[in-house]
Amino acid sequence: MPVGYSIYVDRPSYVHRQLDPRTKLAALGAIFVLALAFNHPAVLGGLVLLVLVVGRLAQVGWRSMAPFLAGSVWFLVLGVAIWPLYVQGGPDLFTVAGQTITLNGLLFGLAMGLRVALMVTAAGVWMMTTSPQKLTVGLLHLGLPYKAGVAMTAAIRFVPLLNAERATIAEAQQARALDLRHGNPFSRALKSIAIIGPLFIRAIDVAQGLALAMDARGFAARDSRTSIVELRLTRVDRFIMYTLLGASILAVALRLLGIGLITRNYL
Amino acid sequence: MLDEQAAIQISDLVFRYSPGGPEVLRGVNVRIEVGEFIALIGQNGAGKTTLAKHFNGLLKPSSGTVRVLGRDTRTAPVADLARSVGYVYQNPDHQIFAQRVRAEAAFGPRNLGLGQAEVDRRVDAALALVGLQDLADEFAFSLGRGQRQKLAVASVLAMEPPILVVDEPTTGLDQAGSRGILDLLSRWNADGRTIVTITHDMTLVAERVPRTIVVNDGRILADGPTRQVLSDTTLLRTAFLRPPQAARIAQRLTDLGVAADTLTVTELYTQVSRLLGAPNDHVRRAASEANGRGV
Repeated sequence: MPVGYSIYVDRPSYVHRQLDPRTKLAALGAIFVLALAFNHPAVLGGLVLLVLVVGRLAQVGWRSMAPFLAGSVWFLVLGVAIWPLYVQGGPDLFTVAGQTITLNGLLFGLAMGLRVALMVTAAGVWMMTTSPQKLTVGLLHLGLPYKAGVAMTAAIRFVPLLNAERATIAEAQQARALDLRHGNPFSRALKSIAIIGPLFIRAIDVAQGLALAMDARGFAARDSRTSIVELRLTRVDRFIMYTLLGASILAVALRLLGIGLITRNYL
Repeated sequence: MLDEQAAIQISDLVFRYSPGGPEVLRGVNVRIEVGEFIALIGQNGAGKTTLAKHFNGLLKPSSGTVRVLGRDTRTAPVADLARSVGYVYQNPDHQIFAQRVRAEAAFGPRNLGLGQAEVDRRVDAALALVGLQDLADEFAFSLGRGQRQKLAVASVLAMEPPILVVDEPTTGLDQAGSRGILDLLSRWNADGRTIVTITHDMTLVAERVPRTIVVNDGRILADGPTRQVLSDTTLLRTAFLRPPQAARIAQRLTDLGVAADTLTVTELYTQVSRLLGAPNDHVRRAASEANGRGV
């Protein structure tokens, strides 16, 4: 279990334990390519289901995935409400305020909602199944300088710390009669300076302390570093990566051919 | 039932951070009278700060009641209770945000909706009380640790709350700084205000604070006159605390006739000197010197 806060949930699944973080990163990338290549709701809906199935195989509970889906609902509603005004095609369905709504318009709106749902859910499943520590090591193997890797891990590590600081500062200022619950948004924004100010200074302070503590323990004394996490691409990893690469190329080709699309006019 | 209104009245207080979670406070009953000066002691994680945060409504009871000057904290917003209860946080950097010392001290009073003249008067008084009057126009962040601590105290004092809660005012301060803060609290208390301080500094508690409450594992383990509480070694051991050094030495010397409830260096010095037959005024002078040095 990595130190600190992340939405990563350790489970004894193949996806968590055996799959290389680079493979999972590639999978996320491929999903994004697929999500952008197609704009037919059937294809995108199928991909969302695929991501959910992978999530289930990785022992991620429905409850953990639901918030990502729920978060995309707004985009779905918005997509269905707005896109039919722009996309015309297929049989006419009905007319609202002089504007004819077509089937293709509705389908495209649905697809845009599903596209967001797909990306968000895939990113969610990815984060829940890839420990930040392993991800960092994976990125190091891909050529990321290790100092940047440490910075990345530290950033994740500091989220809960700074959140706790923020809560403490908010309490301290409330105790000085700072009223954050009343007033208009503008005055509340002004009031939050009393919280943001100390928070920034604390963050700089903490970062400086960390840097000093790490320097004192010989960080960056050598050009390369060993890692406690050893990564090795297995045959399964390679197979999955080639499949993903193939799928991405195929998706782009289909896009150029106009297959799996509602309209070519929009992405 | 009660003839006089308590500053803080806590009845059967139970607190959990999350519903169904573990009880952090497990049935606390405390009554703090107006004008008292109280130390809350206990090991880390005992529940001192959690208890203290109930005093100004930052935390609300899971069950039981907390009344501050008669008001139930569950129905009063924190920003309102802040008029009655000032709360100084452990780390001054959690509250300092203004550029200048004066502006920082004025933040609280201004939040109370006071006029400029009244804000100025209070800020001047508070800064003078902590000895920062000459630094009023300095950058708040350029102050040293001890001065920032004093500024944090001043910025709450400027709100002139009848009740003041100070969470570990001496953390990170040297003896002189710690004494300075405790002297300040004593003076503030002498004006009839109620003070509750959370601290680990047993020596300062023994010297300055009349009543001590020991918190252990979410319960009140002991509550009484500081002399009585701090000389009960067995009780303190239960709470993983140690009496002040002078008290520990005194307890080893009881066979020689030193009183077992000796708490401070002055008391110990006086008794030991008497046992050794030293002349009296010499003893008094040496003792006061010893105390002043914080031996």
